[in-house]
Amino acid sequence: MEKWNGFCEAAKNSSWKVKLSAVVMGGGQLLYGCWQKGLVYLLVELSVLYYFITRGISDLVGFFTLGTQKADPWTGTAGDNSVVMLLMGIFAWIVIAVFLCIYVSNLKDAYAIERRVKAGEQPISFKAELAQLLDRKFYITALALPVLGVCVFHILPIVFMILIAFTNYGGSIVPPELVDWVGFQNFAQLTTLSRFAPTFFRILGWNVVWAVLSTGLNYFAGLGLALLLNKDCVRGKAFWRLFPILAYAIPGFITLLGFKFMFSYGGPINQIIRDLGGTAIGFLDLDAKWSARLIGLFVNCWISVPSIMLLATGHLSNRDMTIYESARIDGANRWHQFKSLTLPYMIFTTTPVILSQFVGNFNNFGIFYFLRGGLYMDNYFLASDTDLLINWLYNLSIDNNYYSIGAAISLVIFLITSTISLAVYVRSAAFREEDTFQ
Amino acid sequence: MKRKWLSLMLALAMVTSLLSGCGGGNSESGGTGEQSPDAAPSSTVQNTIFNGELEQNITIRVLENDTVIAKGYFAELIDAFNEAYADYGIVAVDANMDQYLDLANDGPYGYGPDVLYQANDIIMQYAEGKHVYPLPIEQLECYDQIPQSAWDAYAATIEGTEYYCGVPVNIQAPMLYYRKDLLPENWESEWDQDGDGVPDMTQRWSDLLAFSQARHEGDKNLYGYMKSLDDVYFSSGFLFSYGAYIFGNNNRDTEDIGFAAGEAEKGAWVLSQLASAMNEDCIDSTITTNAYSRMADGTYFATITTPDVYSTFIDELTKTYMGEGLDQAAAEEKAVENLVMTGLPKLPESGDLSDESAGLIDSKAMGGINGYAISAYTQYPNACLAFVEFATGYDMIMKRSEMLGIAPARADAAQAAGETSQQLFDRLEQGNIIIMPSVKAVGQIWTPGQTFFIDLAKDVFRPESEKKYTDLSAMKQGLEEMSQQIYDAIHTLN
Repeated sequence: MEKWNGFCEAAKNSSWKVKLSAVVMGGGQLLYGCWQKGLVYLLVELSVLYYFITRGISDLVGFFTLGTQKADPWTGTAGDNSVVMLLMGIFAWIVIAVFLCIYVSNLKDAYAIERRVKAGEQPISFKAELAQLLDRKFYITALALPVLGVCVFHILPIVFMILIAFTNYGGSIVPPELVDWVGFQNFAQLTTLSRFAPTFFRILGWNVVWAVLSTGLNYFAGLGLALLLNKDCVRGKAFWRLFPILAYAIPGFITLLGFKFMFSYGGPINQIIRDLGGTAIGFLDLDAKWSARLIGLFVNCWISVPSIMLLATGHLSNRDMTIYESARIDGANRWHQFKSLTLPYMIFTTTPVILSQFVGNFNNFGIFYFLRGGLYMDNYFLASDTDLLINWLYNLSIDNNYYSIGAAISLVIFLITSTISLAVYVRSAAFREEDTFQ
Repeated sequence: MKRKWLSLMLALAMVTSLLSGCGGGNSESGGTGEQSPDAAPSSTVQNTIFNGELEQNITIRVLENDTVIAKGYFAELIDAFNEAYADYGIVAVDANMDQYLDLANDGPYGYGPDVLYQANDIIMQYAEGKHVYPLPIEQLECYDQIPQSAWDAYAATIEGTEYYCGVPVNIQAPMLYYRKDLLPENWESEWDQDGDGVPDMTQRWSDLLAFSQARHEGDKNLYGYMKSLDDVYFSSGFLFSYGAYIFGNNNRDTEDIGFAAGEAEKGAWVLSQLASAMNEDCIDSTITTNAYSRMADGTYFATITTPDVYSTFIDELTKTYMGEGLDQAAAEEKAVENLVMTGLPKLPESGDLSDESAGLIDSKAMGGINGYAISAYTQYPNACLAFVEFATGYDMIMKRSEMLGIAPARADAAQAAGETSQQLFDRLEQGNIIIMPSVKAVGQIWTPGQTFFIDLAKDVFRPESEKKYTDLSAMKQGLEEMSQQIYDAIHTLN
């Protein structure tokens, strides 16, 4: 409100020279003799005008229509590519957003110059302003390029993916067919369509259980291993730490394929069972719902524990051991020390890591894709009973071309993980009592 | 003030709605746009594209598969073509890109090849989006030599008109591989009831099952016929033999899923009986993975797979014989002599592999036709057509067959290339090779199919009380559910 009042006051009090900048960017600056800066602003306006005349307007129109002419390579009709039009439309919006920022800065600058002149001061020279960009306003210089990069390489694809969820892109509607906007239809289908809804909620339930269990298991196993290897009585610590690091260093998918082979019918585990006179067990086959889930938890643990162990080892070495000494004198046993000192300290220092582990596990695509991919179960729509939402998303969008539904699921995943992460983080001691553990 | 803002908002809304109605401003319409079904006969379209005037002094990029390049055939092909068309200045070069290209997305931007060699199902997915050109096949020298069933693999009905978008080169279909030296010594008296000098177990599935059981009885570590059931490509042939099909209307109607059609359940029963003489390895891909080494060490007597892996079996068997003390040449000679690749055995009409009195029917199998297509984004369609004509000529196809061991789709080349090629060609002509559908939806049959076949194989090893497929009607129901799953995958959102 304060800013708005300020804007109204500036609009009322400023002279025609400032108002000229509202029409011709840099006009006010030029009239007050700041011709270099004025030219820069003018150049920006002309460039943006050129962009919009040559393609920006058609990109914006394309954003709304997503194409009107279907391509036909046989007759040489170039046609519209809806996906490219959507992408270029988003880019045009980003250009508008960036232009508006520069436009506002142009007005503010013209008004600031006028105020300086009215106060009897000279406008700040272009050279001095450039010098400020390397001094007081260095953050602008340093961040300009990364922000531009973030806009093009992060925001654009994310917005693109979000918008895909509101189209009918996928199935038989892929270029050269034209894509259309369908509003919230994909989300409605996800929760109401008899084929989708049961599978969605079934997988979501397992996905939450998986994320909680695997995060907890990995964290406590890693912490336990770090505590064990931190004990004074352990000899050759470096040697023992080498093994988990080896497991960590091997690429995950190789480990997963290795485990898949180990638990397959022709793998060494079943070979041993057969040699001992037993019958081969289908650890990961069609009927192996819970054994496959448990193997998934174990394999994920194998892959993730080393990183937690290394992290915990570093944090444990920073503990204030005099507190433990005091606790011992007060009669606290090892369990009490762990429960009341070590664990709160570790939770405090590693909350962001736990959250990132949770999000990573929630979206852990590789485990069940490599261990038990390629199955569609009864009562599941294009999914199996070990698939997570991210695997289902893959089945739908890559194997079956339902891109828009896949995008809708990924938005749901994003909402769930971001809500849980934010809620937990904001309530955590790591956020609320940032300065307490020093 | 309020009124001013309202006016401004209305003006903005008007501008936005006007912009939305402007239409695609960047489409460069160089033709007539979307055609009505009866807009142009196929020959008109083809004649417009292929006007017979060879583009001169140009380079065309040809995409071949990696094996063809690795074995040196591709170099010979383009050298021969470049020499033949040197007067026109037409040069064919390796497109030098991943054989799993994405023509639909890369083509419009000029990144795809001009000519591509792919399986029919891949090429025809491009045809649906008009990413490959319809070809004037009647003008090609090979036209009369290639059977209609092979041409059909490249037929597509687009906007109401039928087009052919590829030229068949070779046929891919499963063959039976077995070790001649693992036959019982008395096979001529015990396993050649018809006295034709060919072991019965390689001619009838019922005898192969009986032999498998006998071999395993004799030594628990040895097996007869072994094959992972989870592979839809190989397993679905047993269903086809009893009347199943993939899609209706000559594999074009994806509304009609036919895996449960006819007496397909008998095919499932046959698979189930064969699995009973295997071990649990048939449930997953274990057997497919280790078939080469297990055939070589004698654990397995027979398996089925495609002809293109023949050399891998030979290599493994040669190693085994060398391990037994033979030198390289003798081991290789012995491997070639003992590894037999032949057509599929016959099936009992009843589906009962223990019924020796049952009438016999031919085994059908899923197969594919690899061939050439021309990208719709090429600048030189006539030069590309000249290349395809050259590459599918008798001489080049024979050379291809000699160097790569492929089974030609040309009748004259198949006859000259040897017994295996002729067998495959005959099976195709007799309708015993069911060509993979040439529609995009074929990509959605594999996982539901795989899940069913895994379940079927697993059922053999389940305790009696937990078995799902106890009779033919249960198998029929399983196949219907699988078909429904495929239907849902294809049509739920389309």
